[in-house]
Amino acid sequence: MMKILLINGSPKKKMSASGFLLTLQSLFVRGDIQRESLRTKGDHGRILKKLKDTGTVIFFLPLYVDGVPSHVLYFMKDMEGYCRVNQIHLKVYLISNAGFIEGKQNEALMQVFKNFCHACACEWCGGIGIGGGVMLNVLRILFFVFAGIFLLGIIISGVQRGDWLPVEAIEIFLRQIAIIVFLYSGVLFYMIRMAGAVNKGEFSGVKYTRVLVPSFLFIIIANIFFIIISLGKGGIFRGWLR
Amino acid sequence: MRVIIHDLENKYNKLLLQKCDRIIVVDGKYSACRGCFNCWTKHPAECFIKDSLHEVSKEIGRADELIIITENYYGMYSPPVKNILDRSIGISTPMSIYRGKEMHHTTRYGMRELLSVYAYGEMTDAERESFLFMIKRNALNLGYKHYSFTYLESIGGLGEI
Repeated sequence: MMKILLINGSPKKKMSASGFLLTLQSLFVRGDIQRESLRTKGDHGRILKKLKDTGTVIFFLPLYVDGVPSHVLYFMKDMEGYCRVNQIHLKVYLISNAGFIEGKQNEALMQVFKNFCHACACEWCGGIGIGGGVMLNVLRILFFVFAGIFLLGIIISGVQRGDWLPVEAIEIFLRQIAIIVFLYSGVLFYMIRMAGAVNKGEFSGVKYTRVLVPSFLFIIIANIFFIIISLGKGGIFRGWLR
Repeated sequence: MRVIIHDLENKYNKLLLQKCDRIIVVDGKYSACRGCFNCWTKHPAECFIKDSLHEVSKEIGRADELIIITENYYGMYSPPVKNILDRSIGISTPMSIYRGKEMHHTTRYGMRELLSVYAYGEMTDAERESFLFMIKRNALNLGYKHYSFTYLESIGGLGEI
């Protein structure tokens, strides 16, 4: 059975939006799924070897300066050579995420991947460009925060009043989850759609989506987020905007 | 100030130095960006990786004109050149605004004049279109008022820069 290789191209060891999207997509794709992390040149040989018995590759990448991160670009060149020498013709999909709210800002990266597939005689099967990558992370943290508060509420309610199924707490938790799912709904829709295409080996199209927050609100949230982080790390006192 | 980034052999440095104030050496002997954002949030415009690109944001940010000479890779820069651009996001600040009906980061050094890209090597029509589009996006996101793209049929065309 041909494998489906999911490659996380984020250089981050933890808390990467690309890694999260990979985990999410592996829930929807059927088959012999293999996961790989591409962070340095040391990863190339190991991943390239896996391409021999792989039929489909899905890349999960962060958008860096409107394009492919440089460490992934090095890999793409090696992959082109490997595919040519070994006569490997893979189906290639891409899920990229940008820090900007507009998914469309991933367009240049999509074009580069299409060109790459052409160069290495692989089949470009489409991609999803996602906007609001950082917020994807924030939302998944919020999910666990809400779940923690919910469990704590149940324990307190159970111990104090003997009520281990507090309706009010359940309602609040479900409402919070519904909001998170709504904010993710565009991303989830296109990822499930792509998974369907992957399962059938079809072209999925190139789609752009985002976290469903109005742009002006997203910019305010993003700015507050970076102010808080910069306060914590001290950058705000070291010529932050100069 | 005029800065050149190029991935040509070192023998071209002498010629190119006559056309700019500074050359950023593309030797690939530096790390890739790790996506930590410390150049925004901890030590503004400085990378925490202490190699030759440690302060590359300042060098690029303070130049009115940035010239990039690069081999074509699928309609974008070569990996060592892209590495420099990835490591230079400190030319922007972490704060975002709406510009051109899109979200963009504010520029730490103000709007600069010109981003010129000269690409060489084999290039399909699709790659040429992609490259031009990429540079347009870069100019918008990195804060350049103007941009230009030239395909070099041969390195001999460097004299036109």
